[in-house]
Amino acid sequence: MASVTADTPVIPTRSAAARFGVPTTLAVALVLLLLLPALGLPPFFESFLYLLCLWISLATSWTIISGFTGYFSFGHGAFYGVGMYTTANLGASLPILVCLVIAAALAALLSLGMGAVIFRVRRLRGELFALLTLAMTIVVATIVLNTPIDGGPGKYLLGVQLPRIYDNSATTIYLLGACVAIGTLAITYFIQYGRLGRGLFAIADDEDVAEGLGVPSYRYKLIAFAISSAIAGVIGAVHAIFVSYVTVSETFSSTVALFVILMSVIGGMRHWLGPAIGAVFVTTINFVFVSGDSALAARIVIGLALILATLFLPEGVAGFVQKQVHKRRAAASSNTDTAPHALVPAAPVAAAPTATERPILLKGENISLAFRGVQALDGVNFDIRQGEILGLIGPNGSGKSTLINVMNGFYKPDTGRLLFEGHDLAQMPAHRIARLGLARTFQIPRPFPHLSVLDNVMVAAMFGGAAYPQETARRKALETLDFVGLANRAGAFPSELNLHQRKFLELARALVSDARLVMLDEVLAGLTPSEITSAIAMVRRIHGGERTIVFVEHNMRAVMELTDRLIILNQGKLIAEGDPRTVMDDPAVIRAYLGTSDAEG
Amino acid sequence: MRGRDIVGATRRFMLAAGLATSAALAATAFQAQAQAPSGPPIRIGSTLALTGPLAQTGAIHKIVGDLFVAQLNARGGLLGRPVEWVLLDDQSKPDITRTLYERLITVDKVDLIIGPYATAGILSAMAVAQRYNKVLVHSTFGIPKMAAYDRQFPAWPLGIDPEKTMPNDLLDALASIGKTPKSIAIVTSKFPSVQFVAVGAREVAKARGVKEALYLEFEFGTRDFGPIAARVREADPDLLFVGAIGLEGNQLLEALDKLNYKPRNHFYVYPTPGPLATSPLGNDAMATTAFENLPPLNKNPEAAAFAKAFTEAATKAGLPYTEPETQAGASWSMWEILTGAIKATKSLDDKVLADHIKKNGSDTVLGHISFDGQNNYGKNLMRTKQVQQGKWVIIWPKDMITPGYTVQGK
Amino acid sequence: MSATLFGQSVLSGIFAGSLYALMGLGMSLSWRYLRVINIAHFGLVFLAAYMTYEFAGVRGYSALAVALLLIPLFFVLGVIQQVLILRFNVNEFSSLIVTYGLAIIAEAVIQLIWSADFVRYENRALHGNVEVGTLLLPVADILLVVIAVGLCVATWAAMRFTWLGKALRAGLDNPAIAAAFGVPNQRLLLLVSGFSAALASVAGVFVALLYTLAPSQILSWLGVVFAAVLLGGLGNPLGLLAAGMLIGVSEAITMAITAPSWAPVVPFTILILLLVLWPQRV
Repeated sequence: MASVTADTPVIPTRSAAARFGVPTTLAVALVLLLLLPALGLPPFFESFLYLLCLWISLATSWTIISGFTGYFSFGHGAFYGVGMYTTANLGASLPILVCLVIAAALAALLSLGMGAVIFRVRRLRGELFALLTLAMTIVVATIVLNTPIDGGPGKYLLGVQLPRIYDNSATTIYLLGACVAIGTLAITYFIQYGRLGRGLFAIADDEDVAEGLGVPSYRYKLIAFAISSAIAGVIGAVHAIFVSYVTVSETFSSTVALFVILMSVIGGMRHWLGPAIGAVFVTTINFVFVSGDSALAARIVIGLALILATLFLPEGVAGFVQKQVHKRRAAASSNTDTAPHALVPAAPVAAAPTATERPILLKGENISLAFRGVQALDGVNFDIRQGEILGLIGPNGSGKSTLINVMNGFYKPDTGRLLFEGHDLAQMPAHRIARLGLARTFQIPRPFPHLSVLDNVMVAAMFGGAAYPQETARRKALETLDFVGLANRAGAFPSELNLHQRKFLELARALVSDARLVMLDEVLAGLTPSEITSAIAMVRRIHGGERTIVFVEHNMRAVMELTDRLIILNQGKLIAEGDPRTVMDDPAVIRAYLGTSDAEG
Repeated sequence: MRGRDIVGATRRFMLAAGLATSAALAATAFQAQAQAPSGPPIRIGSTLALTGPLAQTGAIHKIVGDLFVAQLNARGGLLGRPVEWVLLDDQSKPDITRTLYERLITVDKVDLIIGPYATAGILSAMAVAQRYNKVLVHSTFGIPKMAAYDRQFPAWPLGIDPEKTMPNDLLDALASIGKTPKSIAIVTSKFPSVQFVAVGAREVAKARGVKEALYLEFEFGTRDFGPIAARVREADPDLLFVGAIGLEGNQLLEALDKLNYKPRNHFYVYPTPGPLATSPLGNDAMATTAFENLPPLNKNPEAAAFAKAFTEAATKAGLPYTEPETQAGASWSMWEILTGAIKATKSLDDKVLADHIKKNGSDTVLGHISFDGQNNYGKNLMRTKQVQQGKWVIIWPKDMITPGYTVQGK
Repeated sequence: MSATLFGQSVLSGIFAGSLYALMGLGMSLSWRYLRVINIAHFGLVFLAAYMTYEFAGVRGYSALAVALLLIPLFFVLGVIQQVLILRFNVNEFSSLIVTYGLAIIAEAVIQLIWSADFVRYENRALHGNVEVGTLLLPVADILLVVIAVGLCVATWAAMRFTWLGKALRAGLDNPAIAAAFGVPNQRLLLLVSGFSAALASVAGVFVALLYTLAPSQILSWLGVVFAAVLLGGLGNPLGLLAAGMLIGVSEAITMAITAPSWAPVVPFTILILLLVLWPQRV
């Protein structure tokens, strides 16, 4: 049953043509650019194309960390500057290609050093990251200004030896620029459609959820930052030769940082080609309006062009195109759509819940966690047994969600251990816990808003316990979507789903990677009675008689129907544990639920 | 009413800008009555910083170029042909400057090029000129030792070592009235074309036995001069030597004024002339200059006519300070050098022109400029000027002192 | 280093920091409450500065009268800008470009009207200074500190204690619920944008009082004001004031005791350390 049927609607995936077409196109573009000087065009065009290449490289590299990953950098000028000054200082004594490598390495090192500190602190995203990168640029600029790296008078690049390919060293600079730009586009393309890119897009949308699904966010952010900076360093190293006179005020001016942002936003920040489109647009309008007699009018035209481009294409050119494509596909698929969502098939007969003598899968020992003095968990001890459905219940604020967050690694407990097959989860980052085969859903669904339903599930398939390679992950994701009845919504965006469907999307993400322990956090909340019925059937099917499930729920009908065993929390303490019917008769439980105080009791 | 004023001001400015060129043309046409030039124009290309951070000075160069070309055409053009100035806006950016010079040479195919404004831009243009073996006459290039191309000619007669001549001239001027300073405070912006002058001043002071009371470097673009002013006040030198470019001199003076401190003798390397002359704090401030509309420089009728025309055009363009000085003078002399060589050789060939300029030098509104030294820098023609009663006068060297004035020193 | 030099430098830093805060206040509010990263704010500041120069300097009207007229005028400009931004549904990133475009246009228009050259508004009435012990406090700067601190504190109090501020914050947390309780969200947003622009005009008057103006300086304040706004916390006037002072004073002290060209390293290193070591407090 769980297979892709013939009438599964069109999935927005890259066709084979696109997959092989893009690298081929880039390769052809590179060859053409490299052969261009042989045509004997006026050298101005080489210079102009070189500037296009410069801005394409800078804007595209910025987008890897800022557009893809969502870490908005205002410090791209620093990495570019590191590259500029590498050539300015070493260009005369080392071959240019060695200089480029050193520039890349220095820029990457700087970003790794920064990232290693910044990315550890969860709060330092968004504007604060922008601020940090801005501050770093100023610090780097001041150091360069006051040390022999520059010292103040600027660096004049006299003795840089360039290989003469077309018998003209200026052409060589253009060739270098073309190689860097095309190389940058290729790298960015492969990042976007590779494992790294999927992880980065997930991080940009919701870093915690991404980490919880198994994306090693810290490492991925570092890699993205380093690649981004290294490219900026390389093109900076080339650009130093182009300008031939490098000064601090010119190199580290806020123009570079501002321009790459403008270009990326105009072109679209979530697509490898977007920043290049923006770079071509902005650079070209800067060169179209250079007549000395209308310099000011030209500035006004450029200002208006920026404004109008943004007003009418708020998500950039690439974003606009992506949206149009999506709309067309949605229209096409709605023709074949028979129902808003497939009904969940009748549940297979589940294996009858049996004894508690199953092996222990996860053991929690003395888990405590306090937030600013409030004891959210207080010495909780519990077992989760292989293959059971364990109900985790308690009044609001009793610590249920906190316990889930501890088990999946979002919170580190103050004390206690969580033993899972010899690992202590309490000491592990969330993504490693996910890789061990623990998965969870969120009470309020947290899909990645800018990823399609299919991509949402694919992230989980690629980074979760099974860690499927991309193509397998796609197949598994489609199967899982079919299983939860969302196959015909695979191409939709989460915003186009209703609550019920979003809850099932959560389920699909938790299931796709064959998790051995699935923690369901109030999957029934907010659903209509008939939806609840189908959801209960779904949970039973997920269980399939053998999958271990932790089931957090307020709906007692569902709890009694589904669970093998219950543990009950109140005010952070475990107050009861055992067979559902027995536990629910426990006076402590009744007190906790009915709010009868001890004094009255 | 407010809105109408703005609209009125805009309209007036645009009218003025539009009319400035034609008015100048008409005025000079009356005088010259030369025969109208004919044939295809001789096209001379350049860029200027018309927008961006250097635009305030770029505007001066544009006025001068427009005036010069209009006047040239009114007098019959060059070699009987009209002259067309192909001017592009480089937005104060060196990489755009470079690319636009390539455009001028290889796409627009101008006959000759002429320099842009400011050191970094000129370096960019110079590299392009070198690749195409073009003559490049330029004004306002600040670091003579970097100008290593044999067909470039500086119209700004700094000499090869302004870092020595500038402070020496200053100390000579003060010595001439017996006010040799005992102590000097050198405060400089870390801006390439002024910093090396300040470093040179340090050595000159040491060599001449002036005690260094303070040496400070600040970042170009510094806004808060309060702490620097407090340190200057504490050092209390006889001479304050400021490696200032643009407004930095005014900013430091205003910060000193807030501390109730007036420097006894003060010198600024390349200050924007207007704000310093018109500020009540600028009294006795000294600076270096290539040209002022003062005798003996304006005894030359060419210079007098230039100065008059410039002031008129600058007034019409709405510039707050309308006196011609180093920028306008060097810009005008740049045009004189190039067009003079064309007239003399009747050639547009870059080699012929370069050889002629190198060999003969050029008579300009700044005086006779020679190009016989290192990097084609010849004799230093820079003068020391001082603000006296709200205007600049020349106080050094002796033969250039504005009649009726002397060095003022404490 | 003498105590006077030290004290004078600290004062100088406080003056600089006050201006950073005054320039940043409108930015901070619009960033937080409108999600508009308003680069055009600097364009407005300079437009106000040039108008102060034109009317108070060239035409000789009273500076106070000019300032009082600029405030409502700029309020209207701010409202118009926000109407456009709302009309086109501009998001945070896009607002950066739209307002950068506006800043470019503002620069060109200023250059068109007042030329690219420097202009200076000399105000003799605010000249001179007050002596406190061995320290000198310039009158214009004292006025700046008073206005900057006053506006920051007043804005903070308004946000915290008035219905208006509460409504704004509620609208930010949950626009739908706030609307259900009768909070007229759109009008509030227009109010914030108008107020921000009015603050720009006040900052502009002080820029004209204290600095020589050139159109190309518009974006030269961007870096340091951005830093103060972000370090202070978006929409947090007191934090902004403290951040401005921290940057100004630490820079000034560095300039007083070591090579001034090293000055920017100190505040920005402090800033980095603060953020990394103490992120929850920022």
